[in-house]
Amino acid sequence: MKPQMITLHINGRTHYVALNPNLTLLVALRDLGYTDVKCGCEKGDCGACAVFLNGVAVNSCLVLAWQADEAEILTAAGLGTSEHPHPLQTAFSDAGAIQCGYCTPGMIISAKALLDQKPHPTDAEIRDAISGNLCRCTGYAQIIQAVQSAAEKMDAGGEG
Amino acid sequence: MKYQVKPLPQVNLPELRTVGKPLRKVDAMGKAVGDTVYAGDYSMPRMLHGKVFRSKQSSARITRLDVSKARALPGVACVITGFDVPNARLVSDMPGQTGQKQRAGSDVPVLASEQVRFYGEPIALVAAETLEIADKALSLIEIDYEPLPGVYDPLEAMKPGAPVVTPPDNIVARWKIRKGSMESGFEQADLIVENTFRIPYQEHAYLEPEAGVAWIDERGAITIRVSTQVIEHFRTIARAVGVRQNKIHIQGTMVGGGFGGKEDITIEIYLALLAKHTARPVKMVYTREESFLAHAKRHPYVIKHRTGVKNNGQITASKIEMISDSGAYPYLSPYVLLYTTVMAPGPYRIDNVQVDAISVATNNPYTSAFRGFGGPQACFAYEQQMDDIARQLGLDPLDVRKVNYLRTGDCTATGQVIESATWLEETATRAMAALGEQTPDYGSVKIGQGFASYFQSYGRITWMHDTSQAWVGLELDGTVTIRAGVPDLGAGQANSLCQIAAEVLGVPLERVTIYTTDSALTPLSGTSTATRQLYMSGNATLMAATNVRNVLLNRASKHFEEEIEALDIADGKAFNKSDPSQTLDLVDLAKMCASEGMHLSNLALFKAPFTDPINPETGQGQVWPDFTFGSFAAEVAVDTETGEVTILKAAACHDIGRAINRAAAEGQIIGGGMQGLGYGLMENLIVKEGVIKTPSLSEYLIPTSMDYPNIQAIILESGTGLGPFGAKGIGEPALTPAAPAVASAIANALGVSIPEIPITPEKVLAALDLP
Amino acid sequence: MQSEIELYRPQNLAEALTLLADYGPDGTPLAGGTNIVVELRDGHHNCKSLVDLSHLMELRGINQQNGYIVIGGGTTITELIDHPLIGAHAGILREAARLFANPLVRNRATVAGNLVDASPAADTAPPLLALNAEVQLMSQAATRWIRLEDFITGVRKTLLQPGELMFAIRLPVPSDRSAGAYNKVGLRKADAISVLSAAVMIELDDAGLCKQTGIALGAVAPKPFRAYEAEALLFGKVLGPELITEAARLAAEASRPIDDIRGTAAYRKRVVAVTVRRLLTKAVEVLK
Repeated sequence: MKPQMITLHINGRTHYVALNPNLTLLVALRDLGYTDVKCGCEKGDCGACAVFLNGVAVNSCLVLAWQADEAEILTAAGLGTSEHPHPLQTAFSDAGAIQCGYCTPGMIISAKALLDQKPHPTDAEIRDAISGNLCRCTGYAQIIQAVQSAAEKMDAGGEG
Repeated sequence: MKYQVKPLPQVNLPELRTVGKPLRKVDAMGKAVGDTVYAGDYSMPRMLHGKVFRSKQSSARITRLDVSKARALPGVACVITGFDVPNARLVSDMPGQTGQKQRAGSDVPVLASEQVRFYGEPIALVAAETLEIADKALSLIEIDYEPLPGVYDPLEAMKPGAPVVTPPDNIVARWKIRKGSMESGFEQADLIVENTFRIPYQEHAYLEPEAGVAWIDERGAITIRVSTQVIEHFRTIARAVGVRQNKIHIQGTMVGGGFGGKEDITIEIYLALLAKHTARPVKMVYTREESFLAHAKRHPYVIKHRTGVKNNGQITASKIEMISDSGAYPYLSPYVLLYTTVMAPGPYRIDNVQVDAISVATNNPYTSAFRGFGGPQACFAYEQQMDDIARQLGLDPLDVRKVNYLRTGDCTATGQVIESATWLEETATRAMAALGEQTPDYGSVKIGQGFASYFQSYGRITWMHDTSQAWVGLELDGTVTIRAGVPDLGAGQANSLCQIAAEVLGVPLERVTIYTTDSALTPLSGTSTATRQLYMSGNATLMAATNVRNVLLNRASKHFEEEIEALDIADGKAFNKSDPSQTLDLVDLAKMCASEGMHLSNLALFKAPFTDPINPETGQGQVWPDFTFGSFAAEVAVDTETGEVTILKAAACHDIGRAINRAAAEGQIIGGGMQGLGYGLMENLIVKEGVIKTPSLSEYLIPTSMDYPNIQAIILESGTGLGPFGAKGIGEPALTPAAPAVASAIANALGVSIPEIPITPEKVLAALDLP
Repeated sequence: MQSEIELYRPQNLAEALTLLADYGPDGTPLAGGTNIVVELRDGHHNCKSLVDLSHLMELRGINQQNGYIVIGGGTTITELIDHPLIGAHAGILREAARLFANPLVRNRATVAGNLVDASPAADTAPPLLALNAEVQLMSQAATRWIRLEDFITGVRKTLLQPGELMFAIRLPVPSDRSAGAYNKVGLRKADAISVLSAAVMIELDDAGLCKQTGIALGAVAPKPFRAYEAEALLFGKVLGPELITEAARLAAEASRPIDDIRGTAAYRKRVVAVTVRRLLTKAVEVLK
């Protein structure tokens, strides 16, 4: 089948791209320069490629790019910048929740998905929410602490 | 509380301004917002995509290799086989490091051309315009094999008549320790305890698969941007590719996890060959499955302990035999084996020790460095042995250990005197106390608590004559620049140097910027391995920053008309300690120095202790600069009907000498501990006839956020380490005691020990001797 | 990644059915993609024409109709967890959904996708089997309801015909005198493929005797199945510990597991006996 033009709205920008039907959203995003979306397994086993697809956190390696035609996509880089970080990005940085950093963008997506639904999560809810995001460095404790701390800050500041 | 926690010995550590604080690491925010560019994120103009064609046999002769169809495919830029690059071998023989046969160290063909020795061995390289074309080209390569007998069990491989993986024989390395007398040691014993322990592979499973991009720059240098723990491999690559050493330029990237798996050369040698042959930029990124196939694993071991003890638990003799599976090529197996050998008796004072260790070649996946470097295998065995001694003597596990724990001034089994603090009882009692009261058993669930103590070296083998360099400079706006060839694996390697320089030069951490990991542009700082960067590059940074500070203080002393000793620098200002209102801004001070031609930067070289190799017949001599000591404790719930083990509580207590960044140190302790828990309970690399049956993250399971509780990290600071400000190292030590602690807790719950990890539900049920 | 595929994105259900009718044996419905996209990547999927259903709202949703809970085939696993009707009437399905893979996969994977994939370890199958679920298969020409038990015929084999998609799943609303329990045994506490996936439902009559049971097991046979011998033993009796243990033994006997990288057949059989006993005990406790 021939490449087909699709429209991807990514982090507030609109891209018109011609893609083959067998390309995953992960590959499409990375080829467009959204390299904060990380490739760790291409099988949905690690969560490093997590993005929001129309507000729902998904593994972008399990979505064909065509399936995301006209969709709103939000990646971790779309949440904030180093000048104006999202409270989760600040909390992850300050809590020691980032070591190698390769899982971090996907982890932040899953954490945000949780806080969107439950602004005051328990530790158990945080653990469940990030259970599809493998981290090999931190042992998770400081990540869980970072999500708690971001939740408190967002609650106090009405941010996010 | 099971054990009494005694106060620590008095330690006087000066309060520091920056060092020790849990500050935001300098690399954190870039990673949080997705600015950090990893090796697989780079692209270059006119870039080709590289792929590796790998063996589908574990042991075979290649009778035909035809790449003509692949070469003819439109869009294929080149296909390289071993016949094209006959001299491409990875040979490393770091000076003075063996005391072994010449084969110790790595000697590996980059591409197999006549014989394959393991499943997944590289045979050909392809570079093509697109990944799809490269994949297609792989499928067009034609190969015929004539299967050769393979050998998959190191014990079998040692037998006469076994298939020989690489002539002359399958013995890759041997180490021995001879201390005291076995005869008199066992004569003095009231009881002799014997056990055999089996310790498995472990896969690094870093989240970032191997990746890189290479091109030839305007100087004609092959430049390789790659995720690596060792930029110094440029020397080995130069030899293998056939160019001068100053024509290989490694630009290391932020590493998405290493743990030893990116210590050996990985993808960079293929990139170098492809870039050279095509004269175009080439990118290569492993899939997860290829990563499983391509890089080394932790060594499986069989370790036998025979220990003579007095009735009070005092060890009179320790006889240990160990065999490790090196797989098809040696890589770092001889050195890993040395580590296991020297650490084999554990952190115990024993007069009579005999260790015989052998590393054996097989047609299994090759094995090499993994966090702990042979230490975790040794620890699992010696700590289960200590528990069994306690059980057989009817003594408490801590009491048995207390009689034997190494103290400052004692000798290791190789005769190395330990000069730093050895807070073993201190860490064991604190880790156990952190667990609190033991949860009662319920229903078919039995609860147990246990702990393990360890010692683990930091810094490289002292007869490798290790050095590290760092450059520190003060800029004219009062900011600080560090240049150091330190690969940052995420453990805070670069950040620690920044906190040290900030401390010495009296500036806030945000004013320090570090440039790392460039083999041509940053001073070489050695490998990010062996828990050595804080110790080595930390000291080099401390030296360089101190030299700059001395220049500043000299100039300030003229300005204030005070002795240097009366002055200090903090918060970006030099000041008079007796009258802190007298200040001189660092910016002004820097300008004064610059206008007077004073040197505002310094390149320092730190040398570890240099020693001669140990005696190959007795193993006697110094092996490492120093050791970290600590303990790990766990409480487990074992379902005796299903065999499932749940960790209820876990705590780790280590004397790290001095924390440079407390949050980062805790991160090492918790993260390393988690890898150790996974190793003990869950991680199960299944290998049949040399083929990995679990080559994905849904088959080779590593811990998720749901599996284990938070590990309580307890940091002790004796200030007695050889690193900056009295720091020791914690990167590798964090992992070492976790698996044996869990095994101890399970044995405590069940009353029967399981001498083999991972302790899967099936092994638990087997141990309970139910049908 | 498999290169020779076609992908169609119909505007609505009618168009999807037309496409599936047109492509016949070459056509495959694509929902959440959590299995199919991986198979495409590994070159293991042999269908050429994928018809994307992931965006069709007609296939989603959960409601109560004529004594049934009806679940749209495109309903995601996450939606199962969150929906009050599932919580109220199909607690064992909710529990299986909660332990299903991980949140990122649950947000995408669909109930129909899990059933059509027909893995022996499909985690929604045991609770749905225990709840006597039926599935609605729809083609351009016809619609049919069949029992889930009949739908899955073997390892990755179903009665889904070319041109059909799974439109809905329904289960009779269990009586107030019924209770269930579910458990999954895996080698990890999240995101693990099941070593065993087990669900039980029991209904007692006014006298406290067992009126109806459903004992369903996954990952211990070529397909998820009902342990009828065990269920028959319980029928009409007071569910005491000895009877439960015997039923659990029969369930273990009925399982036909294999040795694989996750566990041996012998281990699985043992765990079936323990788990079914525990689940029945728990369900009886709830009804007390």
